[in-house]
Amino acid sequence: MTLRTAIIGYGKMGRIRHNAMERHGGFDVVVACDTAVDPNARVPMVTDPMAVYDYDPDVIVCSVPNMMIPDVVCTALARGKHVFSEKPPGRNSQDVRRMMKAEAAAPNLVLKFGFNHRVHDAIEEAHKLIQAGTMGDLYFMRGVYGKAGGPNYAQNWRNDPEQSGGGILIDQGIHMLDLFQMFAGRFNKVQSFVQRNFWTDVPVEDNAFALMKNEDGIVASVHSSATQWQHTFRLELYMRNGFISVDGILSASGSYGTEVLTVALNRLDPTGNPIPNPESQEIRFTEDHSWDKEIAEFHAAVAEGQPLKCGTSQQALDVMELVEAIYAADEDWSAALRKDTLKVIG
Amino acid sequence: MQTPVFLDHLPDIDTVTGQKPAQYRLMRNKALLDLMLDDQISWQTRSTCPACGEPLAKSRSFSQSMLEFQRCSGCNTIYATRVPDQATLDRVRLGQVVEESDREFEFTSLLNWVSLTEARLERRLDKVLDVRFATQALGFVEATKRLSHNRDWSFLALTPDSDDFIALQAEIAVAAPKAVLLPTELDRVADPAALLRAVKAAVSPGTVIFAASSCADGLEYEILGADSPSFVPLDRLTVFSIQGFETLAKNLGFKTLEVSTPGRRDAVILERYFKSAENSDIPFWSSFFREADKNRLRDLQILLQRSLKSGVLRFVLET
Repeated sequence: MTLRTAIIGYGKMGRIRHNAMERHGGFDVVVACDTAVDPNARVPMVTDPMAVYDYDPDVIVCSVPNMMIPDVVCTALARGKHVFSEKPPGRNSQDVRRMMKAEAAAPNLVLKFGFNHRVHDAIEEAHKLIQAGTMGDLYFMRGVYGKAGGPNYAQNWRNDPEQSGGGILIDQGIHMLDLFQMFAGRFNKVQSFVQRNFWTDVPVEDNAFALMKNEDGIVASVHSSATQWQHTFRLELYMRNGFISVDGILSASGSYGTEVLTVALNRLDPTGNPIPNPESQEIRFTEDHSWDKEIAEFHAAVAEGQPLKCGTSQQALDVMELVEAIYAADEDWSAALRKDTLKVIG
Repeated sequence: MQTPVFLDHLPDIDTVTGQKPAQYRLMRNKALLDLMLDDQISWQTRSTCPACGEPLAKSRSFSQSMLEFQRCSGCNTIYATRVPDQATLDRVRLGQVVEESDREFEFTSLLNWVSLTEARLERRLDKVLDVRFATQALGFVEATKRLSHNRDWSFLALTPDSDDFIALQAEIAVAAPKAVLLPTELDRVADPAALLRAVKAAVSPGTVIFAASSCADGLEYEILGADSPSFVPLDRLTVFSIQGFETLAKNLGFKTLEVSTPGRRDAVILERYFKSAENSDIPFWSSFFREADKNRLRDLQILLQRSLKSGVLRFVLET
């Protein structure tokens, strides 16, 4: 089945999605919308988001800034269109609930959010190893995800809380939190430190540290950073029988390095205790298939009624609530935000 | 297809070049000489590469001492140009079982290899058949009981077999395994293709084969050739290259799921060689190894593994 598709937000992400849809072959992108018409675009372009409906799409791909996502998603669902939306799912959990309400009112439509890290090859391998039971019970997870904030940091909409809802944590760290929840379910206890160190005049965090625990006692720590001058993605999972780590993540920029999965099962001494530094297996992944897998899952959900495994609205809500819990757990940060808000209100 | 790298400590060089391994090599070489001097032994001449089938005429000489070995110019596999019949080889091996102490890490590595592959394939490999390894690795049966839970292991003993492995094929069929472990046979049998054919004929489609062998692409063979302490002719009748084994597996109808060269010894063997041998000046490598510390050796060994250039190969195949 070929799905007539409109892309709202035809920037970097919109074009990545367009390319993935072309590779898939089950989509016909009939129109794209952005603030300006690109004369070199391969598809007709409009600047009014509502104009895309004149092209009678089956599907809306939503690649707009966070603050616009709820409106675009809810409108599309109300007009009977399936929706694939970028993450983060709006600016806060209220936004997600609003979209879930629209989704509930259109039960035959598919709403998927693009949490593509779940389907990176190394992450999928890690998931398989854990699901097989070979590694034993999960004890703890550690995640570091960071980048150098980049040029025009202060001017970027991603760092305007009115448009984005937060800083590096909601923009990038949210992927790590989503992975934590994929491996361990929801976390109900959270401690955190949220800081702005380098861009002190920008009203969003450039570093967030959080320690969290779920009902099964699994502990996770995350460090999400915009002052990680050496771009880093590292996820470690320690289990009863061994460990798994994923170093690097394949991205459009390529700046996080090759994706390397390392896995080891413990060697035991005669008394049954693990001997340090067991033999480990390292597997390198050099091609990013995540965009293609996400698009394929979305197509299968729309065309064949397959249930979504990744990027459901419930997962979106869970992770957004965790982001909010991390912001809220640092009292100093919360107080500073309140002060900033009061300043803006005057 | 995946190409894992197996990261571990470097081995103690004495496990390769110490007195015990030296005695083992002498014992095997003596057995080979005895075979060569025995007029009753029937030898089969190999006219093509046992891996890729390239004619012998197109190969290069690898070793002329004792038994003649060639290196295939098509796939880089090293092979003896003539081999005794299988039953003779098996009888000689049975008479030379040597109990090696402390092979725990080797056993754990094999068991973890099976476990992690099982998890990655998302398929239960709850019935595994070891082919002949336990006969020569005396602690392996006990290790499987202690370390490999939720898996039913059976062990096919090394017994003299015919050239087409008819007896082995029948026993494998009775065992009906979901996975077969072949860690030590491929380089030691007269006809590795016949062995793989027998295994394939005996198991159900979808059976996973864990095969290991010495690897002709390993740096130790590339630099030291037949002088490598790993090169024990009677135990290395076929030293497969990656390309060679891949070709053989494909020609026999196996699907290759995983390829690796988890060898850990190339760097320490070469270090010992260049530090002890006189007149062994090879541009770059001589000074590299003479100046190398443990960290550099480890880095090199990891690089060799990542490049599929260490002296041991492992394949996971599917029937």
